[in-house]
Amino acid sequence: MTDHTGTRRGFGAWLMDPKRRGALLVTPAIVILFVMNIFPLLWSFGLSFFNYKATSQRVPTFKGLSNYEKVLTDERTWERFQTTALIVSSSVILQLIVGFLLALLFAKAFPMRRIVLMLVLTPMMLSFVSVGVFFKLFYEPTFGIVSYVLNFFTTEHFVMLATPAGAIAGIVIADAWMWSPFVMLLVLAGLVSVPKYLYEAAEVDRASKWRTFWTITFPYIKSLLLLAVLFRTIETFKLFDIVYIITEGGPGSATETIAVFLYRNAFQFFKTSHSSALAYIVLFIVIVLTNLYLYSVNRRAEEVD
Amino acid sequence: MKKRNYISGLMGATLLSVGLSTVPALSADITITMAAPDWPPTRFMKEHFDQTYTSPDGHTTTLEMDFIPWPSFYERVAASLTSGEQKYQMIVTDSQWLGAFVEGGYYMDLTDKINADPELTAIMQDLHPALVSSYSTYPHRTRAQLEEAGVVPAPGVSYYGFPQFPDTYVTFYRNDVFCNEGEMAAFEAKYGTNLPCSYEDWQDTDWTKWGQIGEFFKRKKGEMLAGEVLDDDFYGIAYQAGKGYDFSSMQINAFVWQQGGDIWDESKAPTAQAEGVVNSDVAVKAFEEYLSLLQYMPPVAKTGQMDIFVEQDLFMQGKVGAIIDWVGLGEPVLDPSASKVHDKAAFGPAPGSRQADGSIDRTGNIGGQPFVLTTWNDDAVVDEALNVVKWWLSPDTQLEAVANGGQSGLKSVMADPGYNELRPWNRAHVEMIDWQKDVWHVPEFFELLTQQQEEFDKAITGQITAKEALDSIAAFQQELLEDVDLIQN
Repeated sequence: MTDHTGTRRGFGAWLMDPKRRGALLVTPAIVILFVMNIFPLLWSFGLSFFNYKATSQRVPTFKGLSNYEKVLTDERTWERFQTTALIVSSSVILQLIVGFLLALLFAKAFPMRRIVLMLVLTPMMLSFVSVGVFFKLFYEPTFGIVSYVLNFFTTEHFVMLATPAGAIAGIVIADAWMWSPFVMLLVLAGLVSVPKYLYEAAEVDRASKWRTFWTITFPYIKSLLLLAVLFRTIETFKLFDIVYIITEGGPGSATETIAVFLYRNAFQFFKTSHSSALAYIVLFIVIVLTNLYLYSVNRRAEEVD
Repeated sequence: MKKRNYISGLMGATLLSVGLSTVPALSADITITMAAPDWPPTRFMKEHFDQTYTSPDGHTTTLEMDFIPWPSFYERVAASLTSGEQKYQMIVTDSQWLGAFVEGGYYMDLTDKINADPELTAIMQDLHPALVSSYSTYPHRTRAQLEEAGVVPAPGVSYYGFPQFPDTYVTFYRNDVFCNEGEMAAFEAKYGTNLPCSYEDWQDTDWTKWGQIGEFFKRKKGEMLAGEVLDDDFYGIAYQAGKGYDFSSMQINAFVWQQGGDIWDESKAPTAQAEGVVNSDVAVKAFEEYLSLLQYMPPVAKTGQMDIFVEQDLFMQGKVGAIIDWVGLGEPVLDPSASKVHDKAAFGPAPGSRQADGSIDRTGNIGGQPFVLTTWNDDAVVDEALNVVKWWLSPDTQLEAVANGGQSGLKSVMADPGYNELRPWNRAHVEMIDWQKDVWHVPEFFELLTQQQEEFDKAITGQITAKEALDSIAAFQQELLEDVDLIQN
């Protein structure tokens, strides 16, 4: 190979030519993405039209849309979707409230603010499994800290996970504890971006605190709040670890989210095709939510511009 | 001449081949990778293998144990098998998984090997029949069916597994509490019957007395227990009532069987029904009795999270007087670094249902695990794996295993004069093993179990009644098993 001056170049130099360098750098990522994500995704999509069971030696036969029909007409699927919706909505609302209040607190200067801020951010850096185990032990009625503290006021042990409402509350509190700091970070970013002169002008105009918040602060954090809602909704929709560890979906199936239900079908019952169909329905919902997320990100970008 | 040469050549070849067949196989380096739950009985097996095993065929054999934590054991094994990676040559398996993995083509049928090998045949004949039925046969054959055949191995039966750890559940109790004179006198005054203290007392303990113990010992912080002031609430009894895996079915089945009820009987498929059997009046009454005793247990029982590890933990913390748990979980109870009751724990048979003739029926659900061979092993590995089986099930190895917290299913080992002294629960294990039965082995096992556990959990947490739970279970099982032709009307 020769370059324009007529001298021979090595393969390395040819490869690192600026025209090819970009493609070369992204190729490993694309290969990994294809092997680890895209191929399994397409393969499982194909499987969802057959009657394949991973533990069976029977040759799968084509079943068309029957798995999708079974999933969508199964009462249990809709119960799990309802449970998921309840957990998602309760948890996201709680995260918004706590995250927002924390952001208001940390928007102001106070002694040891940085250290306290770091401590508040710690939960979202922990693994789901650790958080699940912590809260399972916290809620343990015989020696758990929640029951122990409440035992000072009552004579009975507090059995939080004995009822569907208590178990859902237990999961929501654990999830909110972990992710409220994330909401706080987003809101805090919005709060510190509000120009101070606007507050000064409002003070001159003797605007009430509520009016100041509604007309000055809120517009700056509105898009970030929406981002937080969408991001947390998508993530909580896929909630598995915390539920599986704290309640295993119980009592009964009261806290069994769609992710846990999917896991059981795929890896405990090995109904591979059936669970693939369910996974695609879940994926469709997540894609819709993700598009909403991207739309709000773009809107935020336009507002900043 | 040519013909004579040909004949002598043929004779020479024949003699050579006969000669070769009688000398040991050529020695080789063989590695057997075994999937094993991570707990003392399998840890001991690995340790003891490394110290003592010598291949009778002269191989250099390595036993690689892939220790997997219990909570993810099924998923990890199932994922490995179905992925086709063919990683394991042997697997410690729950007996209930036999159907799924035999039908999937992963577990090897060992019937011909057992029939052809007198040593393996002798082992099968020496194994307790409840274990052969539960751990080895698929399609499942009951102990009665096997005994009816009169010979071991029984004709027409396929055998797959050998016991790695045969487990039974027994009563763990605190003798400082149960043998306290003041408590014994107070119990007798209140109920007109004795508080069980000795092994023989526990042999005469039924569910009624178990309930009385629960009621009697439910004490609040500040009250007295065996002459001491309690610094925390105390409970008399606990048994498994957990939603996870099989952590309530194993105990509820015992109540149902002991009172004359039944679960869907796979050995009578496809004529056996679920509807009308699973939710029979007898089964409902038995389940109601199980539920009625939960009120005396630590409050975690109300959450459906009283699994076998939680009750063991509560016992070790000294918060419960008596529990029913697996022998396999007994060793930590005696460990001074882990257990507050290490010097107070004693063991007896599990309670049962009093029959009309005054005897006690203790029918229970077998625990423990067999090990199996996988189908992709070549002949050399299969033969060596069977040598490992013979080594593990030899009396010397079994006695060592028992002395180190394991258990044996060999009748000859359990009859050894020193056996009962090896571990404090051995006498109870021998008594209980005779009562053992197993749940289903069909490929749909996990679906049947999960739905049943969910419905049991709803009843345990007070959301539905015993009848509603069993009606729902029966309807689900009937529909599922009809779909796969295991029930035909």
